[in-house]
Amino acid sequence: MTPPSAARRDQWTAVGLGVIALGYLLAGRRYPLDTLATPGPGIFPLAAGLALLALAVWQFLTAHRRAAAPADTSAAEAAHAPLIMSVVLVLYAAGLPVVGFLLASFALVFIAARLMGLEGWWRPAALALGVAVASRVVFVTWLGVPLP
Amino acid sequence: MSELFVALTPPNLLACFAGVVLGTIVGVLPGLGPAGAMALVLPVIVKLGPTAGLIMLAGIYYGSMYGGSTTSILVNVPGEAASVVTTIDGYRLARKGRAGAALAIAAIASFVAGTFSVVALQLAAPLVARTALAFGPAEYFAFALLGVVLLANLTGGSRPKSLAMVVLGIMLSTVGMDPLGGTVRFTFEVAGAQAGLSFIAVTAGLFGVAEVLATMAAPASTAPVAHVRFRELYPSREELRRSVPPMLRGTVLGFLVGLIPGPAATIASFVSYGVEKKVSKYRDELGTGAIEGVAGPEAANNAAAGGGMIPLLSLGLPFTPSTAVLLSGMLLMSVTPGPFLLRDHPQVFWGVIGSFYVGNVMLLLLNLPLVGLFARVATIPQRSLMPGVLVLCAVAAYSDNNNPFDVWVMVGAGVLGYAMRGLGYDPAPLVLGLVLGPLLERSLLQALTIARGELSGLWSSPPAAVMLVAALVVFVAPALSALARRAAPG
Repeated sequence: MTPPSAARRDQWTAVGLGVIALGYLLAGRRYPLDTLATPGPGIFPLAAGLALLALAVWQFLTAHRRAAAPADTSAAEAAHAPLIMSVVLVLYAAGLPVVGFLLASFALVFIAARLMGLEGWWRPAALALGVAVASRVVFVTWLGVPLP
Repeated sequence: MSELFVALTPPNLLACFAGVVLGTIVGVLPGLGPAGAMALVLPVIVKLGPTAGLIMLAGIYYGSMYGGSTTSILVNVPGEAASVVTTIDGYRLARKGRAGAALAIAAIASFVAGTFSVVALQLAAPLVARTALAFGPAEYFAFALLGVVLLANLTGGSRPKSLAMVVLGIMLSTVGMDPLGGTVRFTFEVAGAQAGLSFIAVTAGLFGVAEVLATMAAPASTAPVAHVRFRELYPSREELRRSVPPMLRGTVLGFLVGLIPGPAATIASFVSYGVEKKVSKYRDELGTGAIEGVAGPEAANNAAAGGGMIPLLSLGLPFTPSTAVLLSGMLLMSVTPGPFLLRDHPQVFWGVIGSFYVGNVMLLLLNLPLVGLFARVATIPQRSLMPGVLVLCAVAAYSDNNNPFDVWVMVGAGVLGYAMRGLGYDPAPLVLGLVLGPLLERSLLQALTIARGELSGLWSSPPAAVMLVAALVVFVAPALSALARRAAPG
């Protein structure tokens, strides 16, 4: 028997998938279906959205019957570091075109190294500088990748 | 066929060497798997040109299968999923003082299986490609659909979850221009999204960024590594004799499993171990440190890597994340895999196949003397490696189209991938849905147009009908067998 928390988790993710499917179907209404002989750009998204909706219902109905792995509580306890890192990544994506690759990547690696437990300030700073400069030399100078 | 020797030109030899060394390191390091690593080097390989670039990508792919066994045997930590089974007997052999023998047998089994699968690939791929020339949209649609259903059955875990991820990937593939009419869909006025979601950005996020986030949540400890000297790398005559039958069985099994969509290398190694448990003369010793438990699975996972190249090279259909990245690399360099690959790009086709022979020899020569060095790579703390992976992911994502929007896609895919792991969803089906989505859409709509809107046009040809029936059987079989078990007396 599935542990209640895992079953509930699966049911909630099924609800989430159902919401995604409905949102996708609603957004896809603006594309014409036309006919099967001359199919329009809306027909395939309609089929895909309905398929995901059906799969979400299937998962919801079977969640309580299927044996699944219990929820990983140890991962949940350590979830603050990935959460902070996710926010940092969003800031990185936003800041990359503004401050440029070198500075943004230095900050990214520095914070990631600190969050992963690299102690002190000098070691993460040295790692960040090394990674940012080496990446710039390899990709921009040698390979000609036009990084911002 | 003379194009096979293209692999022996100095630039291609260098690309092959770089690929197999990088692949071995990726295989040795737990975490970033071959698909993620291949996505990260795409900006580099584009600069090498089609033949050398693809030789390097392929080298990473099969090199990782070699490297995975090293840490399985020495540290009891599999570098990647296909080497999990090797830990069972490999690590026990190491604890008995036979680590050198186990490593040597793993390398020899990988070499034998890798070479066999290249010969089979060389013979089979052109035949399949010639057959596929007769395929129309209906057949391609049926084959891709069969692949998707098989994939959902084989990825392990829940079938609705796997299928939902495939469909989610297909839905993501509809962002951007529609493949037939050119209508821009689901971009929500974001200019950068018009070209669609970059496959490389999604792969780098799902496999690279998500791995870094997962490592932050549960940092892995580095284990002490058993020291192996070169002179200890000699299996005894008895160990060699006992290894030959499981090696041959694993090779054939692995190659056949490699043709099936799904995580073929992992499944092949488990199937091989299961077969040895049933048929080996020494089956009672399996699990206690038997050489058969290393020879069979290691041969199987390498042969599967070769088998998986057939649908990609001859039909243009990738059924594993690694071959999907390989497909992406080919398209980046304007090389379209499929039935016309042999006609349009014979140098690429035979060059890549030729490089498999060269690469297998390089791996054998590298892995035996340098095994101690590769094992030490596994002891590098992840906190020093993983932050750099984030920057490589960003470079890979950005350089695909020089588009900052793709960095957003990478970040989104990374967070999604991390959440998916926690919720028990495998990212591999999503990646394959993203790759197969445009093919499914194009072939379905073309087949319907040709059949003037008649749905029967999808199964009017015998090959399409057979594949659709097979997909239906595979889809309903688990439910029917569950019903039969419930109805059985007792």
